[in-house]
Amino acid sequence: MTAAAAGKPPAGSAHAGLRLAWLHLTSRRVPAALAAIAVCAVALRIALHWQWNAYGALQLPLIFEAGCAAVIAATTASPFGEPERATGRWLPLLRLGTALTLTAAAAGALVAAGTGAHLAGGALDVLRNLAGLVGIGLLCAALLGGALTWTAPTAYLMIAIYALYTQWHGPALTTPWIWPARPPHDIGAALCAGLVFITGMAANALCGARDATNERPGSR
Amino acid sequence: MTATPVTQVPTRPARARRVPLAAAGRLLRLELRRNVMLWMLPIVAALFWLITYRPAMAYPPLWNVRAMTMQTTALAIFVPTVVGVAAWLASREARHGMTDLLSGTSRPRWARQLATWAATTCWALVAYLGCVAVLYAVTARQGAWGGPLWWPAAVGAASLPAFSALGFAAGALRPSRFTTPLVAVAAFLALELTAQFIHGDHSPWQVSPLVAGPWENGADPGVATFYPYLPDLPIVQLIFLTGLTTALLGVLGLPAGSGGRRLRRSAAALTTAGLLAAITATTLAGTGRLDPRGMIAIPALHNPADNRPVPYTPVCSDTPIPICVHPAYSVHLPTVTAALEPVLSELAGLPDAPVRINQTAATYRQESGNGVSISRAGPAMSDTPPTLHILLPIQLARPVATDVLTAELWTNTARDILYNVIGGDRREKTEAQQAVAEAILKTSTLPPGTRTAAAAQRFAALSPAARHAWLTSHVAALRAGQITLAELP
Repeated sequence: MTAAAAGKPPAGSAHAGLRLAWLHLTSRRVPAALAAIAVCAVALRIALHWQWNAYGALQLPLIFEAGCAAVIAATTASPFGEPERATGRWLPLLRLGTALTLTAAAAGALVAAGTGAHLAGGALDVLRNLAGLVGIGLLCAALLGGALTWTAPTAYLMIAIYALYTQWHGPALTTPWIWPARPPHDIGAALCAGLVFITGMAANALCGARDATNERPGSR
Repeated sequence: MTATPVTQVPTRPARARRVPLAAAGRLLRLELRRNVMLWMLPIVAALFWLITYRPAMAYPPLWNVRAMTMQTTALAIFVPTVVGVAAWLASREARHGMTDLLSGTSRPRWARQLATWAATTCWALVAYLGCVAVLYAVTARQGAWGGPLWWPAAVGAASLPAFSALGFAAGALRPSRFTTPLVAVAAFLALELTAQFIHGDHSPWQVSPLVAGPWENGADPGVATFYPYLPDLPIVQLIFLTGLTTALLGVLGLPAGSGGRRLRRSAAALTTAGLLAAITATTLAGTGRLDPRGMIAIPALHNPADNRPVPYTPVCSDTPIPICVHPAYSVHLPTVTAALEPVLSELAGLPDAPVRINQTAATYRQESGNGVSISRAGPAMSDTPPTLHILLPIQLARPVATDVLTAELWTNTARDILYNVIGGDRREKTEAQQAVAEAILKTSTLPPGTRTAAAAQRFAALSPAARHAWLTSHVAALRAGQITLAELP
């Protein structure tokens, strides 16, 4: 990817714009991310064939949502760092578009995986939880860098699983900030997840993943 | 071309032997200083506080409940973190594009990888043992009876090298920015899956380090107090985890470029030995059975000495009929005394009434699936002197809050004690017995407006002294079912 390509496509050149987008996507390993999301969806589909108890049925989609969110957050790491920031005029839009597209793809894949099977919470739950987890991952990328994006969604997954557990073994954690433990139609939980998602998207679009100072970010 | 004179280099065998170890030590020290796990320690500590420590402190200070809960919840915290960090560090050479460059170093790749794995594991162990130490120290300070249970802590500690090796193998064999998140979440999923597959006490999935006792029994205050903590399942889990660690570390040395032929052969041998150990442990776990004392026993490893009860001096209440409990449950004695004292005052001094109430051990029986039935071990009454043996509600595989415990003591335990004195051996109680029980317990379980309810109200309206006097003279006939409702005062 050249600085010219990353900076400003010639006006009116749709082909150049598409090429820029494609170069950006490949530099973030988006095709591999889509493959990983597909793997998560297929694994969820297979797992839904088993009989799960109430607790297991609730935590199963959440684990795959966290996996997808961590993968989406991992795409934020840039292999170019400072030079790209200095020359990439379209970078905020490209970052935003990439994260939104991947989130939509993940939501679609997970909902499709649950179609015709007992997906606890349904599509609404998947959308809310995934959006919130992606937001957490993107915020983590902005704060800690692309290398450690997986830590926040994984840590949040543990907290959410514990919050689900407390519904059976109280005292229950009922704060809307732990939205996976709230019912799918809970407005407060949806607002919290939405807020985190929007903040994460904004942070990702404006700042991107923080560059690591002591090592080259993951380019593979 | 000139002939170069051959000079004899003086050898120092003792030093030559020390050099590799010193170099390995330096490498490990470097890895320890630059390890990502170090930065994960605050996150792990915060999660431990939220998910393990805080709920554990809500339980009474019982070693069994706190240690067994800790084994499960702490692992759920540590496993994804350790796996993720190990996978991230394993892909470091590839991420930096230094695989080819480092292949020319004097150390084989396997040795470098083992140093990184060891450093990650060391930090994970430091974090885990620190967390366990805090939890155990606080429990000890709260006066928990007996000593700390080390087996759950040992299983948790042995899990960390295994899961670190798992993450490391994944990161080394498939270095990618997606490997770390996927393998961390997959490890968590795998842990949860193993628990889902457990059906009954013969399940080989019990080899999962999450399992501390009969699965789905939860934090059971009834086990490992009257009898020792059975180490059978923890031993099997330790064998499994050691085998898994060995096999995974061996796998790291298998690819071409990991080292010389001899080294790779050693790696293959390690992998095979590790796999054999893991398979053996899984097979042993499949032979498990629920011990009547509430833990999973493995016949091939079971020590009959563990069937002997642990000696203890009971703690007794200062009530008309003393209630004596195991010292581990002494924290509940004030609640038990307050709940049962009104009934005991009514029964004290009656003919054939117990002179003492003893808490007894529970006996466990496996039912279909993961169901476990818990009942009193031995008869309800024993003679000379007449002693009533009861199970406290907290022994029924679920720690309960104080208010729930008081309610259950009143509705169930007090009724059981009362029927043991006035009800005799018949399962069906006579109307007079029901009315007397209702009056003494001051409950309203009888249908209103019935003759029995009216008799109960009449009997409850008597003064305690009058009730006691009547019971003293009529309890034998009441127990024999010879008293009718009309004969109740």
